[in-house]
Amino acid sequence: MTFISIEFLLFFAIIVFTYYLIPHRLRWILLLVASYVFYAILSIQFIPLLLTSTAFTYFTGIIIEKQETKKQKKKVMLVGISVLLFFLGWFKYFNFVNDSLRAMAKYIDWNYTIPYQEIVLPLAISFYTFQAVSYLVDIYYGKQKAERHYGYFSVFFAFFPQLVAGPIERAKKLLPQLKGEHSLNYENLNYGMKRIAWGFFKKTLIADRLAPIVSSVYDSPNPTGSQIVLATILFSIQLFADFSACSDIAIGCARMLGINLTENFKQPHFAVSISDFWSRWHITLSTWLRDYIFFPLCKGKKKRSEIYLAIVITFLVSGIWHGAAWTFVLWGFIHGFYRVFGDATKSFRESIASFIHLDRSPVLHKWVKITITFLLVCFSRVFFRSDTVAQAFENAKLFLTISSWSPLGIVKAFEIFPLLDLVIFIFFYIIVQLFQYIERNNVSTWKFLSKHSIFTRFAFYIFLILSVLVFGVSGNGFVYGGF
Amino acid sequence: MGRLFIKLTIIISVIILLFMPVNKFVKDSYDYNIDHEILAFKKHPYPVDIINLGASHSMYGYYFKPTGLSHLDLALPSQTIQYDFKLLKEYGKYLKPGGVVLVSISQITFANSEAKNIGNYYKVLDRTEIDPFNLIDYYSYLYLPGINSGSFHSALAGKLKNLKWNSHQPWANTGKNYAGRKYMKIEGQYREAVENNNMEINVKQLREIVDYCNEKGYRVILTMEPVHQSYLEFFNEEVMNRLVFQYLKALKLDVPFINYMSDQRFVDNKDYFIDPDHLNREGRKMFSWIVYEDLKKMGYL
Repeated sequence: MTFISIEFLLFFAIIVFTYYLIPHRLRWILLLVASYVFYAILSIQFIPLLLTSTAFTYFTGIIIEKQETKKQKKKVMLVGISVLLFFLGWFKYFNFVNDSLRAMAKYIDWNYTIPYQEIVLPLAISFYTFQAVSYLVDIYYGKQKAERHYGYFSVFFAFFPQLVAGPIERAKKLLPQLKGEHSLNYENLNYGMKRIAWGFFKKTLIADRLAPIVSSVYDSPNPTGSQIVLATILFSIQLFADFSACSDIAIGCARMLGINLTENFKQPHFAVSISDFWSRWHITLSTWLRDYIFFPLCKGKKKRSEIYLAIVITFLVSGIWHGAAWTFVLWGFIHGFYRVFGDATKSFRESIASFIHLDRSPVLHKWVKITITFLLVCFSRVFFRSDTVAQAFENAKLFLTISSWSPLGIVKAFEIFPLLDLVIFIFFYIIVQLFQYIERNNVSTWKFLSKHSIFTRFAFYIFLILSVLVFGVSGNGFVYGGF
Repeated sequence: MGRLFIKLTIIISVIILLFMPVNKFVKDSYDYNIDHEILAFKKHPYPVDIINLGASHSMYGYYFKPTGLSHLDLALPSQTIQYDFKLLKEYGKYLKPGGVVLVSISQITFANSEAKNIGNYYKVLDRTEIDPFNLIDYYSYLYLPGINSGSFHSALAGKLKNLKWNSHQPWANTGKNYAGRKYMKIEGQYREAVENNNMEINVKQLREIVDYCNEKGYRVILTMEPVHQSYLEFFNEEVMNRLVFQYLKALKLDVPFINYMSDQRFVDNKDYFIDPDHLNREGRKMFSWIVYEDLKKMGYL
């Protein structure tokens, strides 16, 4: 049962109905049972791990709080984090390290005997581990009190709308909302349903329509340069549609239960710089990395070079968090490099813009920055999407070859789409862009619609649902569900 | 809250009203009714002389009516060998004593492992035979095919046959573009099948079909339908050996195998084909006569 299924909608409808029917004191039980049932349907074999991690984090939090000195608190916190990271490391990174060591041993002619292990990655482990780490650190810093109610804590740990692919929430925000009494609210239900419908729209009409097209190029043994360029741009669109749809559905579901989750995206492909991009893309991960990796690394550091090193390390952690492969490490490194390079050359770039009078035309200047940022992000995604490092470098070379960007070649590359599919995709992509255009003018599209007549609004909602029903392609899981 | 209920009722009602013609459009489409011949046979069965199994090559390959044979075509597009067997078990009982079963072997026979058009079997097979079976998919496919994007897409593509890039037309570049794309697709399927050990499973399934036919007294013949020269350029002897023949040889089946794939009567004549690997009406008639004559010579008819 994934988000994109009739089963999930029926399951969720039953949860919402029951949630508002039962008294507040019993609601945490319902949410906990729903969360574990949801997780069990997707990955029953890892329920014990989820339960163990929950219990461990719960008791560690209390033990941290009970320590008298800061030093003791720190010790317990570090032990707690180490255990949680051990779970993550064992399941997610064991084979990565093992394979890397084996390859290195072969290179230096060293006898390395540990064989490849069949280890299945537990669903959502990266997400709930980060949530647990932030919980323990916040208790250590006194920003969060250790939760004593095991039931509420378990719901915080495994809250089903955001369990599989975020947003990564902080206890400070989520726990009080879980404890708060929420009455049946028209606005929440209304908004939640719209957000879910919009998530379905983006996932089934954009992301899952693009997935096989992108795969056909990236899985091809000999793609042309223009095909790689086009497929990479399409992959960027796919990834955004896929992940933001997942967040939309999570936010919509939570809202229907009266809970506000953190927004995870703010039109990242319209960022004007790489730092701007990271303040718009996977916001809850970016802020997590900032608060729990970057800030601690920067503590007491004043030299620019030290800050730059901290930036690169933070992005390397981001890369390895995404996937246990060198392609993701390289992807993280590229973003770290972008970020450092962008900072180091900021004044130089501004003087160039001034020299060529680009700054006299702010709109043009902004769009040039948006285009460059988008292309830089696309280039990094060649590494994100490729299966191996060798393939990634091959594809990156094609991406950077000037002839790959010839307009004729790009037009020809569109033939990777069946023509009918291209027409359907373009139509729905325009709708998404119109939606985003309205939002860029700082107006929520839903509020914008509410100012129009009931016929316009209803026509839009009906169009949305009918499009998903008739043209929606489903069957692929969420890309970030695999992390 | 009443306001929300009224709004939802209006929206759902309009959606249902607008959805009805879409659903009908899909229900009436050729692809949705691709199993209509088997379904008609299921309703009014009669004894048959010959049955053919296989995927689209076989489905577009045989038409025995002019020969006077009574024939049941159990081939459907992208049919896996597992479903060949399931259909044979379901409909084999209508074969006359000593009747012939043509088991079509194609490039995808051993590499094809996933029944993509599982809905094709909902009406023609018992529910317990469908694997994987999902109750919601089952009922929605039968009654609300409009919400199945695959079915809707096929129905739409069927109506808009000419909405294709020039290079995607079946005979663009004398059929080489089509054959090349098909080759890439099948190579991908083959790689996947080898990785997942599906080749062995499918090969074993062929043996089970042959054993089953022997047990029931059906006379079984393996066939390979003709293709156009442009297709042969990609699926040459070396490729076919890797995809099919090496496995077939290893099976050491004691049944005849008639390979018409590079039959000179068809290979250079595009007038017999819809596209480089599927026969058209003319080609089908001619090929079926050839098969009929050969079966007679072999003493199977």
